[in-house]
Amino acid sequence: MTRFTKMAVAAVVAGIAATSALAQELYTPNLAYRTGPFAATGIPLMNGQADYFTMLNARDGGIGGVPVNAEECETGYSTEKGVECYEKTKDRSIVTQPWSTGITLQVLPKTNVDEIPILAPGYGFSPMMDGETFQWAFNIPAGYWDAADMIIQYLEEQGDLEGKKIAFLHLDHPFGKEPLPVLEMHAENKGFELVPIPVGLKEMQNQSAQWLQIRRERPDYVVMWGWGAMNAGAITEAVKTKFPMENFLGVWWAGHDADLKIVGEDGKGYKSISWSFPNPDAPVMQDIQTHVVEPGLTQSNPEEMAGVFYSRGIIISAILGEGIRVAQEEFDTAEISPSQLRWGLENINMTEERIAELGLDGMVPPFQTSCSDHTGNSGGWMLEWDGEKFVKASELMTANVEGYADIVSAKADEYAEANQPWAVNEDCES
Amino acid sequence: MLKDIFINPFVDMVEAPDFLLQVLWEGLVSGVLYALIALGFVLIFRSSRIFNFAQGIMVVFAALTLVGLHSFGVPAWISVLLTLGVMFVLAVGIERVVLRPLVGQPDIILFMATIGITLFLIGGGEIIFGGENKQMITEELGIPTGDTVLEPWGGLLILQHLDITVVVVACALVAALLAFLNYTQMGRAIRALGDDHQAALSVGISLQTVWVLVWFIAGIIALVTGIAWGARAGVSFALEVIAYKALPVLMLGGLESIAGAIIGGLMIGLMEKLFEIYWGQPLLGGNTETWFAFVLALIVLLFRPQGLFGERIIERV
Repeated sequence: MTRFTKMAVAAVVAGIAATSALAQELYTPNLAYRTGPFAATGIPLMNGQADYFTMLNARDGGIGGVPVNAEECETGYSTEKGVECYEKTKDRSIVTQPWSTGITLQVLPKTNVDEIPILAPGYGFSPMMDGETFQWAFNIPAGYWDAADMIIQYLEEQGDLEGKKIAFLHLDHPFGKEPLPVLEMHAENKGFELVPIPVGLKEMQNQSAQWLQIRRERPDYVVMWGWGAMNAGAITEAVKTKFPMENFLGVWWAGHDADLKIVGEDGKGYKSISWSFPNPDAPVMQDIQTHVVEPGLTQSNPEEMAGVFYSRGIIISAILGEGIRVAQEEFDTAEISPSQLRWGLENINMTEERIAELGLDGMVPPFQTSCSDHTGNSGGWMLEWDGEKFVKASELMTANVEGYADIVSAKADEYAEANQPWAVNEDCES
Repeated sequence: MLKDIFINPFVDMVEAPDFLLQVLWEGLVSGVLYALIALGFVLIFRSSRIFNFAQGIMVVFAALTLVGLHSFGVPAWISVLLTLGVMFVLAVGIERVVLRPLVGQPDIILFMATIGITLFLIGGGEIIFGGENKQMITEELGIPTGDTVLEPWGGLLILQHLDITVVVVACALVAALLAFLNYTQMGRAIRALGDDHQAALSVGISLQTVWVLVWFIAGIIALVTGIAWGARAGVSFALEVIAYKALPVLMLGGLESIAGAIIGGLMIGLMEKLFEIYWGQPLLGGNTETWFAFVLALIVLLFRPQGLFGERIIERV
């Protein structure tokens, strides 16, 4: 054998070995944002997500014996970069995690053609709940319309909303406008006045105009749909303008400990609806401590790990992990395909028992997905800032999904109509 | 409709004069901060004809350095001095590594170089300090954080002590800068270089020294701006976008005029706030601050392409 032939054979063998090595993993890329104006929100979430899979890889050798490769592709929360990341990772990935409503809306039509599941836990396009129309998209365990509905339910428990005024302070971005259909529906049905107040990306840290409007309008409540630096900007302005914090509520992305720590005691009473809650005593936290923190594999720190967002990152990865596990069991293979993962995500049954088995006690409410329900509608707790940390201010609440089911199907049909040809899952019976 | 545009806003102003005062105060505070950022741009442009795209990230970098140093246990005011030291080293580094090799290159090359500086500072800043939102060391620096509540005409006017401090410090900084530029030898050198590069060089003014100095002054301005904005809503990379608010100020006031930066900043701060509250929110659904300043600057440019205070450039062919 000539030297050239030996080298060629070696190259082929190395190539085959590399290919099989690549295949021996579950590639679940994360379109992360650790940089840019929204990094403050992104970093604890990404750290929680990454640490959970690092723990699974170290403790169990991955899922079903196959390691999870949760490689991050940095988007800086930019929609353009997010689409580039999707294109770059789609050939090998079994799922895409777009991490912004803007990116989700851009990749949604692409995934329907590429047949890759989108996992957008607690964000994205709310009608994705309709699994028949959005067969490849999931916003498990709750969507923005669930959040809007639960916030209104909570406010109604405080007193009749008839004749009241609710200011809706939101990021002037697809994410910020997402709950408007449900809020408008409730305003009409319950007789309160909804005052939308947009905050531009450049105004996130200087919201004096928005809070002057709030002072002039004298709303009974302010509901905030904020992300990133907008939350800290709004909370500091609320304190500055002496708005009663107990009448100020936010979506789950506006409930970050670090944003409230800036105002500390002055933020007491501020509330945020949430489908996750930190439990430092949960077994999963002990396992992360043993397998990730102690070997020095985490990018997080103890303060961040005690917060709401880090634990939410863990839950997000746990949901994906559960979807993978369900698919592996159903199809009797450890290396699942994107379509098999779709089946897995459609058949998650996160009961109290299963939550305990996963070591997530008290960190997420029970929920169940199906072919027709790609959200699961877990419900959530109203959290309240006590001056130092978030505590639960309510029992587990659930969204009245029936109340806006018509809007879900109408918007889903509208989307499918506008994006023809749009493949739907006709085998899926609701 | 005409009534909503021409009558109602003024009726609102008269009926709630305390609210009008609050709007004007908030506009003034924003305007002062815009003027500060714009000054950083103008100083560098005057001395080197470089539009410094990195001014925004310098604000973030300075504030992060200050907070970062303090988090390592360095006392607050020592951290301020050390941050100034870091900004000086940065100025020297930029002059040596970026600007000096590009002397004589077209303006666009120098502009692109400042984009490179921006990316370098973003990456470096994120590696060193991380991207999390950090709390400004307001109390440690002795900056008052309470408020004074006044009741003009039986109404309500809230003046944050932080905002009052920002206005006073910014005015003092601008006065010191103007005194430096007008009454010191180095200040006159900066102005001379701004007026005519060749003539300034021919009388022995050192281009390198002046560039280091103006970048350092821009660094000082960045630090003050970073403290002021950071004290309001924390220190994060989101502060960078605030620098873009200075762009219409520069268009309005003129890129070369220090007076233009100050007056332009105040004008935009006040006018955008008044427009947003009395016309934008009732008639256009709000969030007009994102575009109002640019439209105003555009209108000015239609009639005065050099801005309100910029120098008219006459080129003979």
